[in-house]
Amino acid sequence: MSYSTKFKDHLAHPRNAGELPEANVVADEQNPVCGDRLRLALVVNDDRIATTRYLAYGCPPTLVCGSALTELITGKTVEEARRITKSDVIDAVGGLPSRKHHAAALAIEALNTALDSLTKS
Amino acid sequence: MTANRRIYLDHSATTPVDPRVAAAMARALTENYGNPSSVHAFGQQARAAVDRARREVAMLIGAKPNEIVFTSGGTEANNLAIRGVCEAAVDHGRHIITSAIEHPSVRGVCDALEKRGWEITRLPVYDNGIIRVDDLNAALRPDTVLVTLMWANNEIGTIQPMHEIGALIRERRRVENGQRHLWFHTDAVQAAGRLPLNVDEAGCDLLSMSAHKLYAPKGIGALYVRRGVRLAVQNVGGHQERERRAGTENVPAIVAFGEATKLAREEMPERVAHDSALRDRFESRVKELISDVVMNGDRERRLSHLSNISFKFIEGEGLLINLDLEGVAVSTGSACSSGTLEPSPVIRALGVNDEIARGSIRFSFGKDNADADVDYVVEVLAKAVERLRALSPLSVVGR
Repeated sequence: MSYSTKFKDHLAHPRNAGELPEANVVADEQNPVCGDRLRLALVVNDDRIATTRYLAYGCPPTLVCGSALTELITGKTVEEARRITKSDVIDAVGGLPSRKHHAAALAIEALNTALDSLTKS
Repeated sequence: MTANRRIYLDHSATTPVDPRVAAAMARALTENYGNPSSVHAFGQQARAAVDRARREVAMLIGAKPNEIVFTSGGTEANNLAIRGVCEAAVDHGRHIITSAIEHPSVRGVCDALEKRGWEITRLPVYDNGIIRVDDLNAALRPDTVLVTLMWANNEIGTIQPMHEIGALIRERRRVENGQRHLWFHTDAVQAAGRLPLNVDEAGCDLLSMSAHKLYAPKGIGALYVRRGVRLAVQNVGGHQERERRAGTENVPAIVAFGEATKLAREEMPERVAHDSALRDRFESRVKELISDVVMNGDRERRLSHLSNISFKFIEGEGLLINLDLEGVAVSTGSACSSGTLEPSPVIRALGVNDEIARGSIRFSFGKDNADADVDYVVEVLAKAVERLRALSPLSVVGR
């Protein structure tokens, strides 16, 4: 399978990778079938996502979608972040074959879980 | 993003064509264009070239030339062997014994026959990737018509105890009222040219080979069929290959295969010494520089050119692409498709968990690799593993 230049760049140079001890919210999502994992940690100040960090385990699309997601949401308001879709993540990594779309879905699930727990708190 | 160096460490997938082999093939393309079945001089010249190649291929495995059937490759050879024997022996039984770590081309044929009513016993391989002859002995039944076990594994390189297996099967045939229709096939695609093979010493009745694993082009292989083995023909419509595989011979590829087997036979000791030195250097450097690695498969009974290593906390394909970006070609047996995890069946058969199976990478060395290649690969490998582990919740959060 051939990956895009954007995809390879994210894989070789993951954005915003690591832990975030000062995070307001942390979401852990796992694909129950394949075992891929994504941890998303956010610092949200005045309803705006100020800092984002992620950790990922799994196939390359999972690693890359996590990286792309952090770029898409950093600096956005919570409401703006809620409007980000699976397709936005797929576009941000330069496209994915349909059998790998589950990786972008996992990223959006982690984002929604984080934003939901932020709203609840 | 594009690396300056390109290092090929995927010789178990395929090998570059040796220039001497390419030269022989080029000559055959332009000079031996006759159809070997034609009676005129052009045809007979091509026939002579095919016969010379057949003698070389036979010599590599201690067989007679008329026991070699040229095929399109290892997969066709495995299909012909398994389907051919089972369909011909259907009146004597429908039981096949194989192993849990066969190549997909053997596994696939066995699965297909299972759906058609054959019973399949898949022998376990334990944590070292090697079957136990006692298990085979216990699995043999009066209606067993075929034992198909690979000589050496394509992912972890482990070598099966062929001589003991062959001796056991011969014994079952020899005893009073023995099983005269019990045959022993081996997929020797990874072993041929890398190990000294002798079909009589090993006691195998059918043996599959592929040319592109020994520095010849793709699209050509062979099946050794011992005289006396009944085989249901799969390709009909021509008299070629002693009625065992119809179709005009791929003369240039056969000539290339012959040249490659000659070179493999003549150069085997040097190639084995070269490859094993590179592999040992690589494994020792990896252990020095990278923690939390698992070396898969038996440490002694394995091919000299192959190293299969699992890197804990990370997944193989991510590592593969990171290495590819640095110009290094390796392979992984695991795949994730449509959200369904498909860890390598071979690594899973060793009894390891999914994480170890997903993190496995195969490095396979070849005659054109050098020490400097190994040193470069270990350097970029260590960095890639570190980068991916820094990203992994399995390693970061677990600390």
